[in-house]
Amino acid sequence: MNHRLTANLASILTFAIIWEVLGNSLQTILIPPLSQVGSAWLRLVKTGGLLENLLVSLGTLAVGFLLAVLLGVAMGVLMGRFREVEHLLDLYVNALMASPTIAFIPVLILWFGLGVQSRIAVVFLFSFFVIAVNTQTGVKHADLALVEMARSFGAKEWQLFYKVELPAALPMIMAGLRLGIGRAVKGMVTGEMLLALTGMGAMIMQYGSAFATDALFAVILTVLGVALIAMKLVQALDRRLTSWKVEIAVE
Amino acid sequence: MVEIQRVSKTFQKVVKEKTVEVKALADVDLSIRDKEFVSIIGPSGCGKTTLLRIIDGLISCDSGQVLINSRKVTSPGPDRAVVFQTFALLPWRTVLGNVEFSLELRGVPKEERTQIGRSYLELVGLAEFEHHFPHELSGGMQQRAGLARALAVNPQILLMDEPFGSVDAQTRQLLQEELLDLWQREKKTVVFVTHSMDEAVYLSDRVVIMTPRPGHVAEVLNVPLPRPRSPDDVRRSREFVELTNYIWESLKKAMRRER
Repeated sequence: MNHRLTANLASILTFAIIWEVLGNSLQTILIPPLSQVGSAWLRLVKTGGLLENLLVSLGTLAVGFLLAVLLGVAMGVLMGRFREVEHLLDLYVNALMASPTIAFIPVLILWFGLGVQSRIAVVFLFSFFVIAVNTQTGVKHADLALVEMARSFGAKEWQLFYKVELPAALPMIMAGLRLGIGRAVKGMVTGEMLLALTGMGAMIMQYGSAFATDALFAVILTVLGVALIAMKLVQALDRRLTSWKVEIAVE
Repeated sequence: MVEIQRVSKTFQKVVKEKTVEVKALADVDLSIRDKEFVSIIGPSGCGKTTLLRIIDGLISCDSGQVLINSRKVTSPGPDRAVVFQTFALLPWRTVLGNVEFSLELRGVPKEERTQIGRSYLELVGLAEFEHHFPHELSGGMQQRAGLARALAVNPQILLMDEPFGSVDAQTRQLLQEELLDLWQREKKTVVFVTHSMDEAVYLSDRVVIMTPRPGHVAEVLNVPLPRPRSPDDVRRSREFVELTNYIWESLKKAMRRER
């Protein structure tokens, strides 16, 4: 773990130095030096409304992703548990998971307008299907030996589900959440760029079209930071919930 | 008393998109007395595990019936508990959590089930490992936990499905001794499925020899070896060797006939 942290820091430092040197020597607006991006970031925080916009973005992300988790897990459970539900929905879920979610944005605008509901819907649609499908797989493939054991000891249907199938599916559900959070961040920025201009997406569009590259990179780095932190939070939750899993990671 | 009366079972199997009927059991008759240790032995495919699952009520038979104390078996019940070949421990629960599982399903309150769970872990020699997860234990220890879980519900009948089939030979002998020891103290009816002749003779009062396709009882053999049985003396005794040889000849005959 310490090894990894050192490697991460070294990697970031190297990247920062290369960026700084490259930016200073090229003297082009296309690649502003990192120090300039840093001061642009501080300026944006103080007077540019970066934090306000960040809060708007995070709010959309949180609501959209939570809805996707709740409904995605619920639908995945139903599909994994009941063959009839699976056969009814399988087609749509697979088609929607594989198709580009951006294609639905015009429809969302028609349904929800240009406000926050549409942006939440985009975040939701980006992350919902991968969570549903992973949950379904996990519930469906619960170890039959464990199911039989529980039945043999007299488990009722709800006990079988609650005490065996659901915990057995947890690693797969968490895998869905890990994939889902990444997609949710993409959905967040996509929504803000293509729908009403607010949040991080709006700032990216604004500074991009104004050739204010130092501010542009400052916003992009902030988005990267959000993505990384969101990912780490889900990973931490995963480790907490599935610590019983046999560790196959190599230290 | 367990009475197995003319039990037959046919499975539908899909082979190359055609449904084939496989007759797993045909007219199996067997009576097992209270507190008796009976082993069921036979080659793979003789339906011994199927028979055990029918006794437990996990699956139903097509014809015939199983009676336990004159009552027909239709589902799993608190008078029976199974020890599984694959241990079937919940990997997300500690050893104690696994032993408590069977009690939890029956609504035993938390404190009571922890107390019962601990006492059975002590009985199988796992007291120090109650907070370990299954994957941290050896196969033999995992099966001790499986045994503790089954005993914890205090069943009259212990159904054991090749319980020592996936542990190494030395551990297997140890577990056999411990099981006999426990059985002598707890006095339960044990139905023990195995494919080891040695194991069947050493443990049992009677050995049921089954032959496959369709699975049926070929012979029921009394094991007159005195108890308590000390493993080394018993295995070297003439009766023991003769009995295992006899079973082997009997199984060979049945398998040749099948070919």
